[in-house]
Amino acid sequence: MKNTFRSLALAAFLTLLSQASFAQRMGFSASFGMTSQSMDDLKYIQQYILGTYPVEGAITSSFPPFTNVSVNLVKEWYDHIHIGGGYSFSATGGKSSYSDYTGNISTEISATSHRLGAFLSYSIIYGDRLNLAIYGRVDANLSTVAIETFVNIVGQTNNIINQYRSISPSATAGLELMYKFSGFSLGLDAGYMVDFAGDLRNKDSNDYLTDPSDSSRNLTSNWTGWHVGIKTQIWLNF
Amino acid sequence: MRKAILILISFATLSLLNACFFTDSEIYRVDPVADDPPIVSVLSNLDTLINPRVNDSLLVSYEVAVENGEFYLMEAMVSEGIVHSSDTAYGSFWVYPSQSDVTDLDTLFMEFYHSSNTNTLADRTGWEARITMRKYAIDFSEEVKK
Repeated sequence: MKNTFRSLALAAFLTLLSQASFAQRMGFSASFGMTSQSMDDLKYIQQYILGTYPVEGAITSSFPPFTNVSVNLVKEWYDHIHIGGGYSFSATGGKSSYSDYTGNISTEISATSHRLGAFLSYSIIYGDRLNLAIYGRVDANLSTVAIETFVNIVGQTNNIINQYRSISPSATAGLELMYKFSGFSLGLDAGYMVDFAGDLRNKDSNDYLTDPSDSSRNLTSNWTGWHVGIKTQIWLNF
Repeated sequence: MRKAILILISFATLSLLNACFFTDSEIYRVDPVADDPPIVSVLSNLDTLINPRVNDSLLVSYEVAVENGEFYLMEAMVSEGIVHSSDTAYGSFWVYPSQSDVTDLDTLFMEFYHSSNTNTLADRTGWEARITMRKYAIDFSEEVKK
């Protein structure tokens, strides 16, 4: 997986510097928005942990759509075709808890995704002001998941943290609608990412996170889902 | 213009940094509804004795039954000192003259810790207990031999 990741990064870098690319402009883009994600296994483990509570707790959040950030280097390959590469970040999480006058118990699961990848976009509508493009993107996805349980019973406290991570490839298809100003563009970006979910392994012991009911099944972080956000693109004059 | 946009983006990035990490401050609060307290019955060999004398030693036996609840622990005390403790629901122990600070009547306290049935987190995890107490007057004075 490390080799795949390096190859992707190298390919993106070489493409950006390629003599064969008839570059007109180079710039960078940044987008900020929200992303939904599947997270079936983490929802399952959250439900399982809740079931182990000695009292009847409740899930107060279960991996809702949350922050998605992306920053990229962009190169105008042809008038209608942009290529580039960069970093994307997503986060989400879940919490279950219980509290009464004798104490409380809570479990927080926080998940983050760090993605490094390359994209290619093609403008369907390429006007003086408005630009509508479709794009495809591939990423190497490093997911980190922390499961923290805190217990406080009549002043006696205990805290358990387990951290896991996984590496997986992911692919995105999307649309972006940009309005051009002088030297920069502003618009909307929406897409659907398929994450080829990677098995979660304990950060310290390297053991797989397995299904408590079926130890032969490894649990994964799955970021498959929609994203939508605002995007800006700034062109630099080289 | 571009500089202004860059400043705006930098400011937006910094101000939105908190939003990059998931947090949930909500807590599910519960006001537990207690079940009926357990019904506890205690039997001891001292029940039928009036001011039993210790002399060299006194055997105390007990048996506790907790209906609709769980028995945790029994502690016996004389003159604020623990003379016996056990987590079994029945048993026996000896009381000796040296265990009392007085040389006449003293009190033997027997405390039986059991579940409270309040249905709280502490109750469900065994950190909260209700106490049923029995006390017996015991004579620690020396027997006058004729």
